[in-house]
Amino acid sequence: MAERFVSERNLRFLLYEVFDVTELLKYPYYSEHTREMFDMVMETALRIGKDMLYPVLDEMDKNQPELVDGMVKVHPVVREFMRECGQGGWIGADAPFEFGGQQLPIMISLVSNFIFAAANYSASVYPGLTTGAARLITSFGSRELIDTYVPRMFSGEWQGTMALTEPQAGSSLADITTTAEPTDKGYYRIKGQKIFISASEHDGVDNVIQLLLAKIKGAPAGVKGISLFVVPNKRIGEKGELVPNDVNVAGIYHKLGYRGCPINQLSLGENDDCRGFLVGEPHKGLMYMFQMMNESRIGVGMGATAIATAAYYAALEYAKQRPQGRRLTSKDPTLPQVPIIEHADVKRMLLFQKSVVEGSLSLLFQCSKYRDLEMVLDGEEKERYSLLLEVLTSVVKSYPSEMGVLSVSQGLQCLGGYGYCEEFPLAQYYRDIRIHPIHEGTTGIHGLTLLGRSVTRNNGRAFQVFVEEVEKAIEKAGKEQELVSYAKNLKNALERLKGITTHLVGIAVKGEVELFLADATLYLELFGIIAIAWQWLLQGIVAHEALKSGPIDADLSFYRGKMYALRYFFAYELPKVETLAIRLENNDGLTVEMQPELFEG
Amino acid sequence: MNTVVCMKQVPDTETLIKINPEGTGIVTEGIKWVMCPYDEYAVEEALQQKEKFKAGKVTIVSLGPDRAIEAIRTGLAMGADTAVHINDAAFYEKADPYATAAALAAAVKDLEYDAIFCGKQAIDDDSGQVPAILGELLGLPVVTLVVKLEVSEDKTKAVATREVEGGHAVVEVSLPAIFSAQKGLNEPRYASLPGIMKAKKKPVDVKTVSDLGVSVEPMTAIKEMSLPPARQAGKILEGEDAVEKAKALAKALHEEAKLI
Repeated sequence: MAERFVSERNLRFLLYEVFDVTELLKYPYYSEHTREMFDMVMETALRIGKDMLYPVLDEMDKNQPELVDGMVKVHPVVREFMRECGQGGWIGADAPFEFGGQQLPIMISLVSNFIFAAANYSASVYPGLTTGAARLITSFGSRELIDTYVPRMFSGEWQGTMALTEPQAGSSLADITTTAEPTDKGYYRIKGQKIFISASEHDGVDNVIQLLLAKIKGAPAGVKGISLFVVPNKRIGEKGELVPNDVNVAGIYHKLGYRGCPINQLSLGENDDCRGFLVGEPHKGLMYMFQMMNESRIGVGMGATAIATAAYYAALEYAKQRPQGRRLTSKDPTLPQVPIIEHADVKRMLLFQKSVVEGSLSLLFQCSKYRDLEMVLDGEEKERYSLLLEVLTSVVKSYPSEMGVLSVSQGLQCLGGYGYCEEFPLAQYYRDIRIHPIHEGTTGIHGLTLLGRSVTRNNGRAFQVFVEEVEKAIEKAGKEQELVSYAKNLKNALERLKGITTHLVGIAVKGEVELFLADATLYLELFGIIAIAWQWLLQGIVAHEALKSGPIDADLSFYRGKMYALRYFFAYELPKVETLAIRLENNDGLTVEMQPELFEG
Repeated sequence: MNTVVCMKQVPDTETLIKINPEGTGIVTEGIKWVMCPYDEYAVEEALQQKEKFKAGKVTIVSLGPDRAIEAIRTGLAMGADTAVHINDAAFYEKADPYATAAALAAAVKDLEYDAIFCGKQAIDDDSGQVPAILGELLGLPVVTLVVKLEVSEDKTKAVATREVEGGHAVVEVSLPAIFSAQKGLNEPRYASLPGIMKAKKKPVDVKTVSDLGVSVEPMTAIKEMSLPPARQAGKILEGEDAVEKAKALAKALHEEAKLI
């Protein structure tokens, strides 16, 4: 096992130097906090990650959850960790004081969640899901629902989940068939099947609370007829005791990775005795759920970045220790071999990983800061951050997921044959990360969301705001001699994105919807590269400034490393924009025209 | 039960240590500082005793420069009630175990306590002398290397299990007394977020050594400090067979290592 799974120095760099979380302290909502407290939160999260989660990373992968007599048995650390997260206040870390939370900035909960996920992604999911489910109840549920469920979710006694997918309805939620039949007793009778529901039953908690989508009988067809319910696996009986609520585990899936957390098939209401409690108003379920979905989507980007980060440090450690081969200029076979990190191609692989994971993490901090500012501001300012989040959510979900897979693959490559062996950690990271381009909306769905909705809505207002933010960074970098060329390159790439967007919108205006969206995934990829280049430029501005002022010895390598990663990203990754742009300009309808039968033979 | 915990902030075990140019100490800039791990057992024990008696106060006392406040706040976030920070950089710089114990004794003497907990040693200078000297200065019994502690209901005595070579010794001692904590005494808790929130409001009494009326001089001074020598590369002996290799080994041991 590698020594390190995150860089505390890099977290501090992003948190304090690039995105300065202390700027938030001037707003009344966050005025209770201090930087000293943030440091302690980070310290503690690092310790929990290191002492409790990281040591069982491998064990949780090898001993998968098992279904025994209707109960899913998970690793004992799950109960221990959920209890710690409850007692320690981590589940409600960024929830308001009024609901029993700690009201910490989203940027700070990003730090702790990232640390937990890098230490052990599967374990981190249990409290993470509970946080999201509880937020849904506090945002839209009645006081009674809040009082009944949230305290015990925040205390880690009860697990929260989101139950959307059904066997016949995955990406297409409009087609769900789970029903909710009203009764005159204040609850609905739920009946249906749900699949792929993470942590939806397990023995690491005393109860599980599903935030579940269903259609009330007689509701309108499609997405407009979907409502949101709280469906506990055990409901509260007359004397306050927990009684079974007719939620049964029909099976567990055996996954490629992320094996420490069960995903189950649930059968609800087999005996007509499954009670669900409506959250908010009828038929608004999907809208409510999307609030949590957007947070979970940022969470997926975070999870992918965390796994790829741990993989990067494991590969780095190996590359520094593994002697193999000699310098290409060395002719003497009796000379000792050099560590593989001396080889240019290995350095290229490591730089690729560094630029992907640190660029992704930067974008996550950026979006978290937008979420914080969206919360504390009003009016036009608030709207601006909402717009930025609207356009960036698909990007911050998909770039780290898609590129994280490639990044871990390069990490695995650094270990050669050992990378392919389960005795080394890269194999697990490679399996673990692969879920991320799939769950919480596949990359394909996010391509459609970004181009078909976020970029075009309100006459492209969100897109315009994003362009303005990138231009601000370009302008700032343009004033520094050493950064001018980066500013210019990003400016050109951004112009390319603007041109492509106008071009594609032109096709949409002509009503050729299929053609317009045929390569939406490529558009998302292009957008992602520009967003990460923007983040590297922001990091470069800070690192350059720090180098000018003569940092202490311990920091010199850190900032110089940042400048190399910036250089790498602009030299190796940003040029990919051009290839993508060429394809996106050519709307020959290749994939639209291709016929299913032509794939045969 | 009222307790005092003597705590030191030390470099994190994972941080890269460099010797200063004068060779008299380490470079303190740019490294990570934490509460000494043995002191964490001491804090945890104090908290558990307080919880067991459902009453009392835990006070942390620490000698150290400005940065030591971070470790003090960690202790407060774990649940300690108050702290005394002897913040005197000049004194701290030169302080040996005797001077440290003298400063701690001066800070402790006016506090109310049934027991004083220390870590068995600080993991930076590894002297392991402070608990004993503190006992001498305060006229208190000292029990070192404690792995289990039971305090009587009336808080007049305690039974402590000590780690000794190859086994354990059980010691009875009258209170107040000083206990130095060994690994195994307990599992230190993590600071909680509500604990961290509360910690910033808990009182920390900041004092210099002259405020405490301490005027001792250290009895020892570090003259030179060095890192362990870098590990030498191994050598693979050449030879056709075992006999040849054994000859080469004997030759190397005789001529190079000069061991035989």
